[in-house]
Amino acid sequence: MVIAFVRTIILYLLIIVGIRLMGKRQVGELEPSELVLALIIADLAAVPMQDFGIPLLSGIIPILTLLAITMIISVLSMKSVQFRILLCGRPSIIVENGTICQKEMIKNRFTVDELMEELRMKGVTDISNIKYAILETNGQISVLPFSNQLPPTAKDMNIAPQENGLPLVLINDGHILEHNLKLRGYDHNWLEKQLHSHGLKDPKKVYLLTADEKGQTYFAAKEEEK
Amino acid sequence: MKRLWTAAALLIALLGFTLFHSFYLSRFSNELTTILHEAEAKAESGHWENAQDLTNTAWNKWHSHDAYLHVLLRHSETDEIYIGFREVAEFIQCEEAGEYSAANARLIAQLELLSEAEQLTLKNIL
Repeated sequence: MVIAFVRTIILYLLIIVGIRLMGKRQVGELEPSELVLALIIADLAAVPMQDFGIPLLSGIIPILTLLAITMIISVLSMKSVQFRILLCGRPSIIVENGTICQKEMIKNRFTVDELMEELRMKGVTDISNIKYAILETNGQISVLPFSNQLPPTAKDMNIAPQENGLPLVLINDGHILEHNLKLRGYDHNWLEKQLHSHGLKDPKKVYLLTADEKGQTYFAAKEEEK
Repeated sequence: MKRLWTAAALLIALLGFTLFHSFYLSRFSNELTTILHEAEAKAESGHWENAQDLTNTAWNKWHSHDAYLHVLLRHSETDEIYIGFREVAEFIQCEEAGEYSAANARLIAQLELLSEAEQLTLKNIL
């Protein structure tokens, strides 16, 4: 058992280092330590689950060890900036003032095709419009255009649009959500009127009904089953 | 900070438990192998009844730890030792000196390997 304990610690740290060396774009949306945890735990749980000849503790001890190390690492990375940099790395600026930082691209093993793909996904086609493109530690790219390329906001145009607030779901796939109905200050009479205005009587025939703070509703009837 | 100490305490508790297990298993298997060596000495001098008593003592000790061993060790390994004890008991009953000696040596080796595999050594970790 102590061998399992020590091996778990060694393998966990080894995989974290490996994932850090693989570069940010391999990480996806998880931080390296979270990714490692997700990779290992499922496998550890599956082995004693499938093989009845292996004691359950052979799976439980490594899982508890991993959870404890992850907890320690997450607290330490919260407390110490240096530790966080060591564990997760730093964000890399790959485009600055409309110019691609080729050294950073090579360092992060990020190809031009991948950069262009990411930019297109962000709705950017012209690199010269970008003030900064940053490869974050979780592998995502943040694109900050030049100020003159940003779309104008209502504030910029001195307009005060109406604030409708959060729309709450009142009917979800035919089920009335009483809590949300009360929260919006409506009752069943109001609901009946709403259904009636859409030519329906039975809430079971409603796929989605939402209402925001200003009383604006969105209605979608259920499609007829073929 | 509370989370940090809780996790550190859990880690230390796990290390403590696993070290205790490896120490306990080593002591337990030493105890059994000593008894089995004694039984073999008795059998070699022709005292088969004494050899049988000692082997039974070792078996009873093993059997009394059955649940503990089953929970913490691979079942295939504990099964092998269970079969070994049965084999040795049969050879004692038949007073087959050569077969008994070989079966007893195999059982002792299995017990030693069982505890050796749980020891915190670089060889085992790698």
